[in-house]
Amino acid sequence: MNVIPYIIERDLRRFYRYKWWLAGMISMNLADLFILALVYTKMVKFDYFKFFSPGVTVTALFAAAFMIGREVNWEVRRDYYHYLLSLPIKRWELAFGRILSGGLRGMVYMSPLLLTTFAFLGFPNPWQILLILFALFLLSLGISALSITIATSTDNFEKFAVMRGVTYYLLFFCSTVFYPLDLIKDISKQGIIPPFLATLAEINPLSCGADLIRSFLIGKPPFSINLVFSIVIFSLPIIAISSLTYVKILQRQR
Amino acid sequence: MRKILLVIERDLKTFLNHKILLLMRALWFIAQILLFGLIASRMVVVPNYFEYYAAGVTIIILYSTAVYIGYDIYEEAEHGIVEYLLSLPVSRKELAIGRSIGGGLRSFIYVAPLMGIVLALLGVSNPLLLLVAFFSLFLFSFGVAGMSMTLAMGIKSADKFDILMGVLDALIVRLSTVMYPQIFIQQTNPFYADIANFNPLTFASDLFRWGAGLEQYITFSPLVSIMAIILFFSTFTFIGVVFYERKLEGGGWE
Repeated sequence: MNVIPYIIERDLRRFYRYKWWLAGMISMNLADLFILALVYTKMVKFDYFKFFSPGVTVTALFAAAFMIGREVNWEVRRDYYHYLLSLPIKRWELAFGRILSGGLRGMVYMSPLLLTTFAFLGFPNPWQILLILFALFLLSLGISALSITIATSTDNFEKFAVMRGVTYYLLFFCSTVFYPLDLIKDISKQGIIPPFLATLAEINPLSCGADLIRSFLIGKPPFSINLVFSIVIFSLPIIAISSLTYVKILQRQR
Repeated sequence: MRKILLVIERDLKTFLNHKILLLMRALWFIAQILLFGLIASRMVVVPNYFEYYAAGVTIIILYSTAVYIGYDIYEEAEHGIVEYLLSLPVSRKELAIGRSIGGGLRSFIYVAPLMGIVLALLGVSNPLLLLVAFFSLFLFSFGVAGMSMTLAMGIKSADKFDILMGVLDALIVRLSTVMYPQIFIQQTNPFYADIANFNPLTFASDLFRWGAGLEQYITFSPLVSIMAIILFFSTFTFIGVVFYERKLEGGGWE
């Protein structure tokens, strides 16, 4: 257990080597918030900036936590795990350490955006902040685990890139990050989009993360403990699956 | 002329090797239109926003694929392929002109079927106007390729190039009328509107909308937009070709 901090330290150091990616992401997130959201506020009948700020925060969390899969897939393709197995670290420690470091990357990257959201929308009370941080950390772990599961499911980079992309787009666009759930449900009822997309948007962990922040900061949607439960139901099984698949890939013979 | 055609052919083949990139861009395009575009069009107060947005996304994808020539040039410099290119019986000028044309042409070829899908959704009222718009977009993609070549040859650090491209991509798209009509940008912040008024993406999206019969949302008269695109094309194609040719002398790319 005491080696896990070393795994986390290694992965966090590697995270800061992606300076270009971080700079691009930061500029994208800030441009989304301070240009796109402000212009959309003039185009919709509600304060889109307030609505979208929590969405951008969750977007940032997702992108940073999802990044670990890219590295794990590279390690799988290059048989780098032989080196990892030579280290005095148990396999489950390695698996859990990677998931944890992916989750921490998400939290580290997301924190300035969460603070920006608080600065513009107001600070919730300390208990609400704790609940938000707990839920987002769990969400970040779940996303990291999901990304590792996808990364270990194939050693073909092209398949991995497609699977990653499809997951990315489905989770982003079928969520309440950009638009309210009521609207998605209305459109689904009108038959403009298939009903399963509305269901996906409702149970999507990204929706739950964004809506949890919104419930405390703008009061809409109202707070429901189901938002936290949905994140728990998504994250815990995927963490278990991801740990198993990661250990399995470490043990495979080629 | 034959040698320039060979350079263009090589760039087209190189582009087709990025199968995953092309597939992911197409998936992104579909998700943007069929999910974001459909749902956002019910959220905003702008009439026919779906048509407006679909046309804008086409311009975004045209821009982002034309920019890719810069990454190819950068990779060639990093992997020592420039030396190989210089050893070929092709003059530096032919190489530079071929790269510029190839960079623009390949993005236009890639985007053409996607444009066809959008035009099928929007309908075509006047084929002649559409032809003029297509010609202007053709020049636009050459201009973007020239701009990307200039940046790729001008910046020697891979990190700096990636950061610049990321920031440029985030800002150039959001500070234009590809996603929202100019009037809303003006209402949000006149400074944003001033930038959007000089943004080549604004002129390109204006022309595509004009060609597709969505005249009610164009910012400038088609003549002004055509002149602006010609200016953008001539400036950046000239700078790109001259800069690339000069940098090839004496190891300027190293």
